Amino acid sequence: MNSISRQHIYLMIASFLLLIFVLLFSFLVLIPEGKTYRINRIELKKISREFRDYSTFHSETQDTLQDLRSKNRRVITAFAKKFSPDRFERENKSYFSNLKVSSFAKPTVKKGFGVYEVNTTSEISSPKSFYNFLEAVNKSEYIIAINFPIDFTRDGESIKSSFTMNVYCDKEDINATASESKKK
Amino acid sequence: MKYSYITPRKKSVFTQEIQLLFSFFSITIIMLLLTYGFLLYKNHSFVKDKKSLFIEKSQLENSFLVMEKEISYIENQKMLSETIYTKNIVLKDSISNLFDLIPLRITLSKAQLLKNGLILYGITPNKDIYNFMLQAPLRSIFHKTYSSFYPAKNGWYRFVSTNYINEDEELSIDE
Repeated sequence: MNSISRQHIYLMIASFLLLIFVLLFSFLVLIPEGKTYRINRIELKKISREFRDYSTFHSETQDTLQDLRSKNRRVITAFAKKFSPDRFERENKSYFSNLKVSSFAKPTVKKGFGVYEVNTTSEISSPKSFYNFLEAVNKSEYIIAINFPIDFTRDGESIKSSFTMNVYCDKEDINATASESKKK
Repeated sequence: MKYSYITPRKKSVFTQEIQLLFSFFSITIIMLLLTYGFLLYKNHSFVKDKKSLFIEKSQLENSFLVMEKEISYIENQKMLSETIYTKNIVLKDSISNLFDLIPLRITLSKAQLLKNGLILYGITPNKDIYNFMLQAPLRSIFHKTYSSFYPAKNGWYRFVSTNYINEDEELSIDE
């Protein structure tokens, strides 16, 4: 009977140890790590897809904003402009024989916007001039709402008029004005 | 004393077969470790990528909130400006219509346009002309109309016409 040689015994022991190592390493380390890998990969895919969708949505919103900005450039600029009585008089004096901003109060906040209440006195040769002014005020560099009361008084050949108007601006401008005046 | 004709060779446990076997074992272990290393690296990179995506997404969300705020602000600006422009045009038409109402024979000396009314001061040759040609159209526009007359030096009548509309039916400029 052939006895098993010592070499064979070594071989068997070494193979057995390797098998144990491979099994233990696989079940205790490799497979859990593989599971984590799979979960992470699926999660990353999901997050990437969500991120891509959100990026697209973000870009669309950005386009909408750009579009709004370009379409309403005049209005945005008009709101951003601080009211200057001199500038207003210069801009509109052609419609009147005489135009003067008699008083304008500190701006107040109304519906999220700053509002200057401006009183004006003027002199016109005919009501037509006033109509022209009302048409032109919509193309003005400010956002101006003509308010009641409006008075027209006959004075010889001309008409004296006085009216109130609300000039709208951005709320931030008021805060800036307030902080500027505080500094002064 | 010699027992063999050949020189004895050194015997080692690491025979060629065992060496070959160990090479296979080493390759197996190296492959296992490499796989483990690959998984560790990938997991680490996944976590890093997820983190950076989260950061980018939160930046996008912040920027989106800012944009949304700006969009709503611009829309408000647009809406308000359109309302104002419309009201200015309506006001122009109202004033124009008011002056068109005044008959040639009546002369106005003063007109006060109020938020809910109109006060006219003027001179008329007689009360009938005023009543038929001015008061009648004013009555059709306003809810309350009051008139008072004062005789002028030339025999004509000075008049004050006060006209109001009901507050609840009035369209305010601020609405």
